[in-house]
Amino acid sequence: MLFGLTPTPMPARNPRLQLLKNVVLFKDLSMRDLAMVDSLMHERHYLAEEVIFDEGEEGQGLFLVLSGRVKITLPADANAVLVELGPGAFFGEVALLDQSVRTAQARAIEDSQIVALFRADFYTLLETHSAIASRISFQLARALAARLRRAVSDTGHRHQSV
Amino acid sequence: MNRALASGPIVWLGIIVTTCLLLVLFQTVLWLVMPLLLAVIAYYLLSPLVAMAMAHGMTRARAVMIVTLLLTALIVAVGMSVAPKISSATHDLPNKINEYGQVGYQLVNNARQTLYNYFPFLHHQLAPETAPTAHTTLGFVSSEVVPAPAPSPIASVNDVENEVAHLQSKYSGDVVMELVRWVPSLLLVPYITYFFLLDGPRFKRFLVQAIPNAFFEKTLYLFYRIEDQLRRYFQGLLALTALDALYLGTGLWFLGLNAPFFLAALAAVMAWLPYLGSIGGGLLVVLVAAHDFPANHWLPYEVVGLFIGVRLLDDFVFMPMTIGRSLRMHPLLTVLMILLGGAVAGIAGLLLVMPVLGVVMVAGQIIGELITDERILARHRHAQHLKRQRARADLFTEG
Repeated sequence: MLFGLTPTPMPARNPRLQLLKNVVLFKDLSMRDLAMVDSLMHERHYLAEEVIFDEGEEGQGLFLVLSGRVKITLPADANAVLVELGPGAFFGEVALLDQSVRTAQARAIEDSQIVALFRADFYTLLETHSAIASRISFQLARALAARLRRAVSDTGHRHQSV
Repeated sequence: MNRALASGPIVWLGIIVTTCLLLVLFQTVLWLVMPLLLAVIAYYLLSPLVAMAMAHGMTRARAVMIVTLLLTALIVAVGMSVAPKISSATHDLPNKINEYGQVGYQLVNNARQTLYNYFPFLHHQLAPETAPTAHTTLGFVSSEVVPAPAPSPIASVNDVENEVAHLQSKYSGDVVMELVRWVPSLLLVPYITYFFLLDGPRFKRFLVQAIPNAFFEKTLYLFYRIEDQLRRYFQGLLALTALDALYLGTGLWFLGLNAPFFLAALAAVMAWLPYLGSIGGGLLVVLVAAHDFPANHWLPYEVVGLFIGVRLLDDFVFMPMTIGRSLRMHPLLTVLMILLGGAVAGIAGLLLVMPVLGVVMVAGQIIGELITDERILARHRHAQHLKRQRARADLFTEG
């Protein structure tokens, strides 16, 4: 095959697609649609304790955890873990929407298999396969809304306890 | 401020030196660079069509196949319609060169005589030997021209004919051989374009796999910016060519020239060669006007006026809308780099300098940012350390 690239396995036989199917962002997609999205993704492997991105960096896309665990920490205190993410979770999603800087650090807790969806590729998807991109955008909006609700609820609890 | 200008002087020196070295290298493998460059242009021209077909539910492979077949059919159709004309033109080339050489000479003489008429003081500055012979050829200027004693800076008709005859005997065979030599190379264009369209995204992913984790996001951004820079440059160039051809063609049609849109398209494509191309294209159309309408003495000047008008439209309206928006380079830098490109790699350098500079500029800025970012370098060293630690983890046993 040209450039040593192997042909993409059929959707049903591609193990990565099975893992992607568990990601909430892609739950509305068929295997065929998922194969289309998969062709845009970049797979990376991180060792335990390896930094995935730093706070203050210009974000270029969204990361999805296929296997392993990742922690998100604030720059002020690396030991204060905001959240730990396992297989099926995603992070850095704001960079998919605009060219903002990362507000926290992401680091692998254990050896992790991660895929990245780059913003420019997502915009291409919006143009070429708008139905698929809009389904992903809808799920992304729901996830962001849930996080916002949780943040508001946490703030309310803190006020009550004060 | 422009990111390009924000880069330091060392990065800029690196960008200029790398651009020059690449131009020299490209000049030596021009037979490969030209089809690659044309394939890149075709890729950026056709990729919106592929995207459109994919948006309508077609697979990439099928969309690319159909679009490439359309491109091949277009090339074959254009080739078949143009080949007989090129063949007859090549056969008749020595005579044509002679004819147009004489027309050019008469045109220059006419212009000189007209200048003498309107600005008599030029006689003492420029006027050479007697010019009355010239006015008899076209009957354009009055016979009251006073000859000046200085020697002529312009050769006589015989000298021009001799020079043209010498050049045609020397180069006409080479021109044909050169055209024949380029045919197989140009046949590669649809083939390369097909694979660019089909495997471009996969090739990008293949390259990105080799990038260490610490540099991953910034390198992805580099790829995006290089691709965006090239796409906007070539799409801008094609849009500019189409606009130039349309306006020039309409103008030439109003002036009554034969095959106005063909001439306009030829001149617009020649303008891909910065500065020299525009002058060459304009000169070609002026010569055609003077040759085809020898009785209409003002026509060449009207054509020159039209070219100047379209040039001004280009500079102030079209170019900022198309290419200018893509490269975002300082005009002085653009001119200096064009001159430098011409100096190091001749015509090929003039043609290639802007896209090469655009790519090297973006790569230089990002690589400059990467190698001076201590945090990213530290992260890379940390990842290497983790890998080494993992590799030797079970090498040492206790006791």
